[in-house]
Amino acid sequence: MQRTMNEALITLDNLSIGYNNQAVLSGISFSIVRDCFTAIVGANGSGKSTLLKTILGLLPPIEGSISTASPSARLVFGYVPQFTHFDSIYLLTVFEVALMGTYGRVRAGAFIPHYERDFTHECLSAVGVDELALRRFAELSGGQKQRVLIARALAARPDIVVLDEPTAGVDRSATHAVMEYLSQLRKERKISVLLVTHDFAAVRQHAGQVVWLYEGDVLIGSAHELLSPERMAGMFEKRID
Amino acid sequence: METLRQILSPDFLLRNSIYTSVIIGLSCPLVGVFFVMRRLVFMGVALPQISSTGVAIALSLPMWLGFNLAGHGSHSVHTLAFTGSITFTLTAILVLAFLQRRGHGHPDGRLGTAYVVAASLSILLLSKNPYGEIGWLDMLKGDVIAISDFDLVLTASTLTLVLAVLGLFHKELLMVSFDRELAIILRKNVVFWDILLYLLIGLTVSMAVLSVGPLTAFGFLLIPALMAHLFARNMRQFTVLASLTGGAVAFLGFWLSYQYDFPVGPTDVVVLGVLYAIAWIVARVI
Repeated sequence: MQRTMNEALITLDNLSIGYNNQAVLSGISFSIVRDCFTAIVGANGSGKSTLLKTILGLLPPIEGSISTASPSARLVFGYVPQFTHFDSIYLLTVFEVALMGTYGRVRAGAFIPHYERDFTHECLSAVGVDELALRRFAELSGGQKQRVLIARALAARPDIVVLDEPTAGVDRSATHAVMEYLSQLRKERKISVLLVTHDFAAVRQHAGQVVWLYEGDVLIGSAHELLSPERMAGMFEKRID
Repeated sequence: METLRQILSPDFLLRNSIYTSVIIGLSCPLVGVFFVMRRLVFMGVALPQISSTGVAIALSLPMWLGFNLAGHGSHSVHTLAFTGSITFTLTAILVLAFLQRRGHGHPDGRLGTAYVVAASLSILLLSKNPYGEIGWLDMLKGDVIAISDFDLVLTASTLTLVLAVLGLFHKELLMVSFDRELAIILRKNVVFWDILLYLLIGLTVSMAVLSVGPLTAFGFLLIPALMAHLFARNMRQFTVLASLTGGAVAFLGFWLSYQYDFPVGPTDVVVLGVLYAIAWIVARVI
C-alpha cells in the first residue's frame, strides 16, 4: 500500500465536481499510480466526462483538491478527446493535427524544430498511421482519427494519456485495436492510461483500476472485483428493484 | 486594355486608391479564414457595420461638443474616424465573444440586432451632422477614390503589422481555434490568444471599413475565404489562396469600375459573388 502511495501521479482528495457551483458528484478520493491503466466507467450523465475535465484542469473543482506527485514539476497530459469533437471545416492534415501535441514544448512564435517534427512522425508510425500524414484529418474514418489523436497525445511526451470515450462511434474491431494498443503503450512506455468509457467488456479485459460512477456513488476497485459478472448482475438487479 | 495600361502607370492619378484596394483585398481574407473556421460569419457582417457606426459617432462628437472640424486637415478627420472605428469594433468583438462563450441567449439574434441597430444609428447620426456632406458620408460609404498618401501609409503599415503578427503566432491562433481544450491542457493562455486574434480582426475591419466601407469589407472578409475553402487541401493553401483571390479581385474590380464608371466597392463585391458562384460549380464538377 505504501509503495502504491509513493507512485501516485495524481491524488484526488474529497473532490466535488460539477458546473456553476452545482455539484454533480461529491466525495471523490482516489489515486492514479504510475504505469497503471485506470478506467472511469458509468452510464450516460453519471459525471464521467465532468470528472475527466476536472482532472485535466478544464473545469475547476467545487471542493477538495487534486495534487500531483511533484508539485514543482508539472505533470504532462496527453489528451485524446472524442474524434467527433472536431469541426471538419479545418483543413488540417494528419501531420498538422499530431504536431499540435508538441506545442507545449515550443515557445510562442517560434518555429517548430526538426527534431519535434521527426518525433511527431515517430508517434504517427507507432500507431500505424504515418502513411496518412499528408491526408486531411477530416477525411479519415473514426478509427483512423482515434489513432491520430493518440499519436498527438504521445507527441506531448505525456506522463498520463487521458482518453475520453475512445471507443465511441468506432466499430468492434477498431475498439479492440485501440484498447490493445493502449495496453501495449502502458507496458512498453511505462505511461499511465486514464480512460473514460461505458464499454464494460473492454474495461474488464484491460483496466487495472476501475472508478465506477454509479447513481451518485463512486466505487473504486480492481476490474476483477468491481466488474465481476456476479457483482454487475447484483448492481443491475438492485437498480431494477 | 488602354484602361489597364492607365491603371498600371506609375503616374496614374488614382494609384493610391488601387494600392489601398489591393492591400485590403489581400489582408481581409487573412482574418476572414478565422471567421469561416470559427463559424463567425454573422460577426463578420455585424463588425464592419458597428465599425462604421464608430466612425459616425467619432465624427459627430466634435459637433456635440461645439467644435468645428471643417477647417481641420484630412489627417485629423481620418485619425478621429480611425479612433472611433477601432474603439467600437474592439468593444463590440470583445463583448460579443464574451457573451458567446457564456453560451446564454441567442448568438445569431444578438449579432443581427447589433447589425441593424448599428446601421440605423450611423444613418441617423450622419443625417443630423452638418459636415456629413463634405466628404464624411463618402468615407462611411467607403469611397476608395479619395485616398491620400497618409491614408495609404496608415493602411499599409497597419495591415503589415496584422500580417506579421498573424504569421508569427499562426500556430497558437490555430490551436486555440481548432482545439481549445488541448491549448488549455498544454498551458497556453487561451484568453490572451483570443484577445490577440480579436485585436487583429478589429484592426483589419477598422482599416477596411475606413478605406472601402462596411459592405465591401464584409465581402472581402468572407467570400475569398469561402472560395479558397472549396479548393485548398491544407491550411497554408487555404490562407494563401484566400488572400491572393482577394487581392486579384480587388484589382479586377477596380479595373472594371474605372472602365465602366461604377462605384469600386459594390463592383468588387459583385465580382466576388460571381466568381464564388463559378468556383462552387467548378468545385462540384472536379
